[in-house]
Amino acid sequence: MLSLASKRVLQGLASRSPALQAMHRQYHERVVDHFNNPRNVGSFDKNEPDVGTGLVGAPACGDVMKLQIKVDDSGKIVDACFKTFGCGSAIASSSVATEWVKGKQMEEVLTIKNTEIAKHLSLPPVKLHCSMLAEDAIKAAVQDYEAKRVKSAASTKAAPTATDA
Amino acid sequence: MSRQQRLWTPLSSAVLRRVALSSSPSSSTINLAAISQSPFRLSPHSDNSRLFVSHIRGLDFLRNFPFSGKHFLCSQSALSLDAKCWNCNAAAEAALFLVCPSCRCIQPVDQSVDYFQIFGLEKKYNVEDDNLQGKYKEWQMKLHPDLVHSKSEKEREYAAEQSARVIDAYHTLSKPLSRAIYIMKLEGVNINEEETISDLEFLSEILEIREAVEEASDSQALNQIRSEMEEKLKHWSNFFANASQNRNFEDAVKAIRRMTYYERVIEEIVKKL
Repeated sequence: MLSLASKRVLQGLASRSPALQAMHRQYHERVVDHFNNPRNVGSFDKNEPDVGTGLVGAPACGDVMKLQIKVDDSGKIVDACFKTFGCGSAIASSSVATEWVKGKQMEEVLTIKNTEIAKHLSLPPVKLHCSMLAEDAIKAAVQDYEAKRVKSAASTKAAPTATDA
Repeated sequence: MSRQQRLWTPLSSAVLRRVALSSSPSSSTINLAAISQSPFRLSPHSDNSRLFVSHIRGLDFLRNFPFSGKHFLCSQSALSLDAKCWNCNAAAEAALFLVCPSCRCIQPVDQSVDYFQIFGLEKKYNVEDDNLQGKYKEWQMKLHPDLVHSKSEKEREYAAEQSARVIDAYHTLSKPLSRAIYIMKLEGVNINEEETISDLEFLSEILEIREAVEEASDSQALNQIRSEMEEKLKHWSNFFANASQNRNFEDAVKAIRRMTYYERVIEEIVKKL
């Protein structure tokens, strides 16, 4: 009787949203959670000096992932956000990545490995590249921020010389 | 040794045929008489090295063929090893050997026959023949499991395999992107590697387009984006055609990547429409 009832519930779910049900069957609950309630979705102004932007893509599936970090003067990541157009695993991976980088030092986040993200989300082997994309996005964001710093340091150095002349 | 001889058979006979057809014996250093008398059963003291040299020359010779030596050799060896119909023992005449021309019996899948050959097409990106579907249906008429139910189990099995392959071939060749990826695969360039790209300009463009699709409120706006994507696809499709023709594989892969992204945008639009 109980199994019949649960069957009915499941059937009801299936008829309402077959895609959702397929996803529940295939993915770990954490993926589903991050997919349905992604953390830190959004954008920072990429031209702000304290913002680093990582933009990466997976050419095989046509996914694109943007991950941004906001860094304070001590090199600590105070905020992070992402925008991903891709599959559930890619969205979940970038969502987890933004959660993990927040509050950490930049050097520290560079050690985040895709395998850790994949393990956390129990990604199947065919979806490992989604977590790889998230790792690459973190690295690209840090790189972008550092490149910006070098550039602004060079221009502030150059500016006084210009006024002197 | 006998195995080696079997492998050499198609090559040497091909060389022989070409030599006989187009070069005069006086200008050729190949000992035609020796080859034609006993090409494969060489005695230990026969002119082995000389024959080998003639094989090498033969290879050079084949490179000037209208199609690549690799494929020529491939289909030749496939023919020589599997040239006979398993049922009636008739020899195959053409490289394409799905159905025995003599007893109409279905043959096992020959992987050396590529998708283009299945449809009798030249191996190039721009498929001029718009009758792909017609040819596809023709093959399915001969191979469809429902239509061969009265045949032997072995033949039904072969028919199922061949039918699946013809379906794959049709789906691959009928769409520009999969056709392009397949062409690269035949050239030994694998596209589906799981790598990350960081081409900022291009990815920013894609991000913007995907945001526009997400924000589009009506079908008119979506259709507008779709027609833009189709324009881009056309451009990169032409770009691929040129690149693959010039064997510029780097550009060809670049075109495939762009096409993948624009196709993906269209998929998303279709989902929303």
